[in-house]
Amino acid sequence: MNVHIDARVGASHISYLRAKLPHAVLEENWQTPNQVTVTVKLNTLPEAVATLYYGREGWLSVVVCNDERPINDTFGLYYVLSMEGEDRCHVIVHAAVPSSNEEFPSVTPKVPACVWGEREIRDMYGLRPIGLPDERRLVLPDDWPDDLYPLRKDAMDYRLRPPPTSDKENYQFRNDAEGETTVVPLGPLHITSDEPGHFRLFVDGEDIIDADYRMFYVHRGMEKLAETRMGYNEVTFLADRVCGICGYAHSVAYASSIENALGIVVPQRAHAIRSIMLETERLHSHMLNLGLVCQFTGFDSGFMQFFRAREKAMTLAELLTGGRKTYGINLIGGVRRDVLAEQRSRTLALVAELRAEVQRLFEILLATPNFGPRVKGVGILDRKIARDYSPVGPVVRGSGYRRDTRVDHAFAGYGSVDVDINTGDGCDVQSRTMIRAAEIFDSLSLIEQLLDSTPTGPILNEDFVYKPYKFALGFTEAPRGEDIHWSMTGDNQKLYRWRCRASTYANWPVLRYMLRGNTVSDAPLIVGSIDPCYSCCDRMTVVDVRKETSRTIPYKEMERYCRERTDSPLK
Amino acid sequence: MPTLSQFLIALLQALVLLAVAPLFTGFLRAMRARMHTRCGPSVLQDYRDIVKLLKRQDMQPPAAGFAFRFMPIVMVATLLTITMALPVVTRATPIAGLGDMITVIYLFAVVRFFFSLSGLDSGSSFAGIGASRELTLGVLVEPTLVLSILVAALLAGTTDIGGIGAAISSGHVSSLGAVFLAGVAFAFACYFELGKLPYDMAEAEQELQEGPLTEYSGPSLALLKIAMGLKQLLILAFLFAVFLPFGSATDMGILSVVIGLVVFIIKIAVVALILGVVENSVARARFRLTPRHSWSGLGIASLGFVFYLVGL
Repeated sequence: MNVHIDARVGASHISYLRAKLPHAVLEENWQTPNQVTVTVKLNTLPEAVATLYYGREGWLSVVVCNDERPINDTFGLYYVLSMEGEDRCHVIVHAAVPSSNEEFPSVTPKVPACVWGEREIRDMYGLRPIGLPDERRLVLPDDWPDDLYPLRKDAMDYRLRPPPTSDKENYQFRNDAEGETTVVPLGPLHITSDEPGHFRLFVDGEDIIDADYRMFYVHRGMEKLAETRMGYNEVTFLADRVCGICGYAHSVAYASSIENALGIVVPQRAHAIRSIMLETERLHSHMLNLGLVCQFTGFDSGFMQFFRAREKAMTLAELLTGGRKTYGINLIGGVRRDVLAEQRSRTLALVAELRAEVQRLFEILLATPNFGPRVKGVGILDRKIARDYSPVGPVVRGSGYRRDTRVDHAFAGYGSVDVDINTGDGCDVQSRTMIRAAEIFDSLSLIEQLLDSTPTGPILNEDFVYKPYKFALGFTEAPRGEDIHWSMTGDNQKLYRWRCRASTYANWPVLRYMLRGNTVSDAPLIVGSIDPCYSCCDRMTVVDVRKETSRTIPYKEMERYCRERTDSPLK
Repeated sequence: MPTLSQFLIALLQALVLLAVAPLFTGFLRAMRARMHTRCGPSVLQDYRDIVKLLKRQDMQPPAAGFAFRFMPIVMVATLLTITMALPVVTRATPIAGLGDMITVIYLFAVVRFFFSLSGLDSGSSFAGIGASRELTLGVLVEPTLVLSILVAALLAGTTDIGGIGAAISSGHVSSLGAVFLAGVAFAFACYFELGKLPYDMAEAEQELQEGPLTEYSGPSLALLKIAMGLKQLLILAFLFAVFLPFGSATDMGILSVVIGLVVFIIKIAVVALILGVVENSVARARFRLTPRHSWSGLGIASLGFVFYLVGL
């Protein structure tokens, strides 16, 4: 954001790239003063990304593909790097894949963090990453036709459900264990996860030697939906629904991506209100996770108590937004609802209550017998692995890296307040849990600071026009880490491309390394310690997973059966 | 040979305990809810669950064999045998020859053996891990159990449970310190046997999806639920009969039997209260670290044995 700052930050990265790889850079294009897209030659793409990633302290945020054939007859590849050393900014490495040759050199061998992004491009656009070590499907189900690439502009209508091509589950799980191992399946439905994800643990006795997993069981087709049938402002509300916990972070990220692309100046008061809402969201999300950590370690009393206290955070959201969740508040250009004086004073009172309550519960949790040994030294995320895979949020901060979008790329109202970054060096479940606990207290004081210093003025800027084919990034620090959105406007009052990357998407690839060397009984705890959001990552394709039978039961029939409980349609 | 009346009393005791076992677990559940600041289910909820399960279909994994199929029946039958042997309301054992401590301890071992066997037999990896944990726990806890009760038996000069209880309650034992230490060690071992947090590793819900119970459904699961409740009641009754026999009926008069019954209920209620507080204020222990906990039990039992040897 920060469109009012005129000096361009990050030019040094471009000159570094030009010096290291002469002749690679074709052009540079600034979206905002601290967001630059550099176009490089396709064959130098891996070198260029790796140079910025390891040479200039870049972290990979997201890999975006865009079907630009109707515009310039190429597929656009965008590797978004968050530069967190000197000159903090976003550098987007762009390369064009000609439509005549649908392949590109894979970056993954040089920068492992790209692996999920490139697998997804292969699924969704049918571009082949040459040299990608893992060529399995990531997003599409096993029974999806081989030559149908859902996000290509000419591929399919968003309502199409292609007939299943196979009735077998043929996903190959990877096991790098040397000796003989037993397979312990965890999920797709498991007692400690409320959303579907399938984990295969390869164990020797009770020790996990290796692990592999697949997600994306619950696609909702959001990106396709947004691109084909929603207006710009409707997508703000769709983005709320990306996640059931941290949806507001997505809607801020989306709205700011459009604001950045079109150069819309958002009023300062709207910025502050967005930050207040984001901190409210972080409060209840972290309290949920602390409760879940209690549950995973068998301390159900703590789980219930944290959930009871969390209700206060929901009341806080209700005070500020009128709903129990911080949804439906954003518009492009600002927010829809102001914080009035009375709400302000009641919020401050509630914040004080919450602080006392959480403090007490947290002390109880730390004093609970067996809790320490359960979380200490469990689920180690090695610092080297963390550097290679670019995880985000408390997961990477737990391994000692100071990564926090609120500080690295101050957005919304965070430029005007002091944000602490909490890090831990245990690299284990304990340090991640402690970071979340500390962040609850930080959020409480941030809400106080923001309420005390809210600038006056309008809350919405509607004085702008949409221009076609403008693109930019929007980003927020959600409770689980950085959310990043890449949006490109279209010429028909709809988005041309919307890439929404939830924070958990960046954290899944490292989970495998965190599981290795622990016991089966710690697996749910370790999975829980990345505070996973399964469905947030699953947002792309509408999939019919009913494989056994070709008969489709109409939704109305299921609904009727739910009400009446007679004549089961499944029999 | 037991007389017919002895046999009938034993049978009556077994059936009554079987019938109230879900009430006991239901009470623990209600207490747990209170500790969580939840409204929670009524104390009769476990009866409703069991009735519901009895109506459901009994499913089996394809890999399972006869051990899996028969385990619930074997478990209930063995536990009922123990029930007939243990003094509950009375001080003496209902069937004299059966109420021997060695018999009872080994009958409990039979239960454990079949429970683990069914887990291995089900073919489910979670059940298998639960089974191996159950056996490991047995290895860790049984020495404490045997050693502590051995101290009491040596002091009382008999291995009959009723006899030991009578000797302890009348004060005819030479070494009070040894009895106390043995009692503490025995209670500690019993806590492991109860399968309550923090030591419910074998049936840990979040870790192992309830271990050997994973694959059971319908009537078999109902039987197992009753059996698990009954096992907990019996372990407590065992503890009361040997180390806390105070108040139980010494003769078969109506009054003393009623007093014995009331005292037994009070003891159970007090223990349930303590259990509720303990299990709701701890996190589950790491299975790897359990031996450290169980060793302290064996330490106390050994100390009791030393006290017995020196006659303290």
